[in-house]
Amino acid sequence: MKNFRDIEQLSAYLDVQLSPSDSARLESRISADPELASVLSDLRAARSILRKLPARKAPRNFTLTRKMVGLKPPLPRTFSFFRLSTAFATFLLMLTFAANSVIPRIGFGAAAPMAAQEAYGIGGGGSGGGCEEPCIQSLAVPTEAPVATEAPAAAELAPLPTEGLPSASEDTARVGETAIVETPMAKELENASVPQDPPTVKNEAIIPIAWQVGLLVIGLISAGIAFAINQNAKRKWG
Amino acid sequence: MDETALIHSAQNGDLDSFNTLILHYQDSVFHTALRILGDEDLAQDAAQEAFISAFRSISTFRGGSFKAWLMRTVTNACYDELRRQKRRPTTPLEPETSDGEEMDSPKWLADPNMTPAERSEADELEHAVQHCLDALPVEFRTVVVMADIQGMDYSEVATASKVPLGTIKSRLARARLRLRECLRGFEELLPSSYRLQEEGNR
Repeated sequence: MKNFRDIEQLSAYLDVQLSPSDSARLESRISADPELASVLSDLRAARSILRKLPARKAPRNFTLTRKMVGLKPPLPRTFSFFRLSTAFATFLLMLTFAANSVIPRIGFGAAAPMAAQEAYGIGGGGSGGGCEEPCIQSLAVPTEAPVATEAPAAAELAPLPTEGLPSASEDTARVGETAIVETPMAKELENASVPQDPPTVKNEAIIPIAWQVGLLVIGLISAGIAFAINQNAKRKWG
Repeated sequence: MDETALIHSAQNGDLDSFNTLILHYQDSVFHTALRILGDEDLAQDAAQEAFISAFRSISTFRGGSFKAWLMRTVTNACYDELRRQKRRPTTPLEPETSDGEEMDSPKWLADPNMTPAERSEADELEHAVQHCLDALPVEFRTVVVMADIQGMDYSEVATASKVPLGTIKSRLARARLRLRECLRGFEELLPSSYRLQEEGNR
């Protein structure tokens, strides 16, 4: 058996990959060495049999489809515009929801006592202190029977000398007829309590709902158009 | 076929141009994959994968032999397939007779379209060669398939295999020698034309 260097040279010689000088040198060695000639013959036979191998044709076509290679259809510029407007409208819509839910809490939390005072129309400390919402409600709902027990409270609120007015005992005696003690102060309080539910006024949305609906409509329309453009492009793309 | 123009168009994303190239090269690619993998179904999968991969990376083609570049893609696909098989070796189903016993000589393994009697010389040759190719290390097999079966020159094989020219020479010589040894065992199966040629050579 020849060394591998010789075999490599013989293989390259078969493929005409040796320089002319190397080829000539090898040819002279081959003619002088039968073993070298035998190896060359073996290599040639192996190469020959491989070359005789019938070429197999592809059993099917391997052509690619756009889907196979993940190609997307070319979309018109309008698609980008509508996609952007959808995204923008959605973003603004979210922003309006955020604004409406967060800002009133921050703003109303700090200004709440003041707002309540303004709404009730009663000043700082000197108005009897303890008379808060229940007290006002009792004055505002005069015909209810339980008011009879609250009448003294109203009277306490108006302890000013009232000539011609019946005494407290007489008041209680007339409770059945009317629960309202018509003192000027009570009237004032009653008038003050007319604009009911003041906190709801302050909780009004910062961004009007009409704007939100508008943004929603814009977003939906833009999304619909973008979807239609995309589908149309895909259909044309095949 | 203006190959350069088609490659240029394909590099610009024109799939139709690339499909024209596929139609031109698909037989070579499939045949190479078949000889490396030794299985028609796997070869089809590898060829398809190779073409998909080639289209995706065609922008990296910088000229030279397109066939060599394509062969590198298909050999890579074949290596992937062989690695996959190594990780998850499949066990062939053992055929059974109607009594539920294993068949000694499973006829079902043969191609249903040909019986041993009907086999042509070319088929005998093909089976013998494929058997011997399968016995080669995959690096040797790839080189010998590209050089001797596809008829590519050494520089193309070197480009496709990404190994130096000297390594190609060495691998090819070893592969041919081993194939010759292996094919000796099939001498009586080989076509008469081959045997005559052998005698003539000697």
